[in-house]
Amino acid sequence: LFILLSPATGFSAPGRPRVINCRSPEKETFTCWWEPGDDGGLPTTYALYYRLEGSETIYECPDYKTAGENSCFFSKNDTSLWVDYNISVVASNDMGKSVSEPVEVDVVYIVQPNTPESVMVSVLEDNHGPYLRVDWEKPQSADTRSGWITLVYQLRVKQAKDETWEEYDAGMQKYYNVFSLHSGKEYMVQVRCKPDHGFWSEWTTPVYIQMPDYMPKERSMWIM
Amino acid sequence: CPHGHTGCHILSLADLFDRVIQHSARMHGLSSDLHSEFEQYFLPSKNHISRVYRKCHTSNILTPNGKENAQKLAREELTEVIMKLLMAWRDPLSQLHQSMAHQQDFNSFSSNKALEMSDMVHELRKGVEKVTEKMQLLGMISNSVSGLSSPEALLPASESGEALSDYELLYCFRRDSDKVQNYLKILKCRIVPEHGC
Repeated sequence: LFILLSPATGFSAPGRPRVINCRSPEKETFTCWWEPGDDGGLPTTYALYYRLEGSETIYECPDYKTAGENSCFFSKNDTSLWVDYNISVVASNDMGKSVSEPVEVDVVYIVQPNTPESVMVSVLEDNHGPYLRVDWEKPQSADTRSGWITLVYQLRVKQAKDETWEEYDAGMQKYYNVFSLHSGKEYMVQVRCKPDHGFWSEWTTPVYIQMPDYMPKERSMWIM
Repeated sequence: CPHGHTGCHILSLADLFDRVIQHSARMHGLSSDLHSEFEQYFLPSKNHISRVYRKCHTSNILTPNGKENAQKLAREELTEVIMKLLMAWRDPLSQLHQSMAHQQDFNSFSSNKALEMSDMVHELRKGVEKVTEKMQLLGMISNSVSGLSSPEALLPASESGEALSDYELLYCFRRDSDKVQNYLKILKCRIVPEHGC
């Protein structure tokens, strides 16, 4: 806002920072990240301020450390649901200050869970031949037991050398059986999860699995 | 299911819970859709939507705003909060539908959604009443849940007494319907934890 340029030195007030993202992994805490603008060639500090809907009081970020550089972490005590946070970041240096565009968030709508855990893929067999059984656990941070957060899962499978994934919805189940895979081929499997209204987690790191060589049932019948 | 078998009762209680939870999820989905339709209509001319929201007419109903607060409430209290929220929306939603039906700005599709929400909140209230009776019958909560029959229909006005706009109502309902869904899930997992929690 105060764009001062001193011709003698070439220093200037900082450029506008930008709040890039606010996310909550478990609907109990959240973090906001910002992108600094130009620093004007001077040491520049950043501060995040927020105001809760219906209140005039302005608070400063309670924790700049936990979530790393250019971030603010809101612990359980600092996190309320169903209320809008009006958030902005102020950059300051010796030449002046600059305020970001304010961002409004209700934590309910910015939930992005951590990835599912302990993904296990095994080859099982029934009388139609082998199939893949995929098992996983919920992300540890998400408290699904108490009913506070509900997660649905999706998995995707592709032949290791192929480009295209096949996606499957598992609903709230923490396992899925994948049938009709090609004999003798190597497959990759990934899982992700999503809360009621919020964002998909990242995909888990791929698990590789080799389908055994086998004769499709119909063909072996025909040979007989 | 043999009559008088306790396992049976609990199973059907879990079913009842699942039904009201699904219902509340659909209701919240509708309110979200309608809310974003409103934003699409009016956001280009921003003066229709004051970004400074006034207080919702339900703001005097004390609702837990986090997991720990919700868990601190007794089962009876949580049930009461859910019922109060649903009661408070009965009249405002039918008003919202009427107001939308009279405006040329909306297609009938949107105004039908408003009607559907109004019906749903009524259905959901009846559903939660059933769940409550069942819980009481099974001795899982005491009979002291109040607010089940008291017709304290709150009128949707802000603190200044001025009526809330359709958009503000929707904004408030989207929030309250999500609260209801969350509280129902918490309550279910406390009462029948072995069923999908």
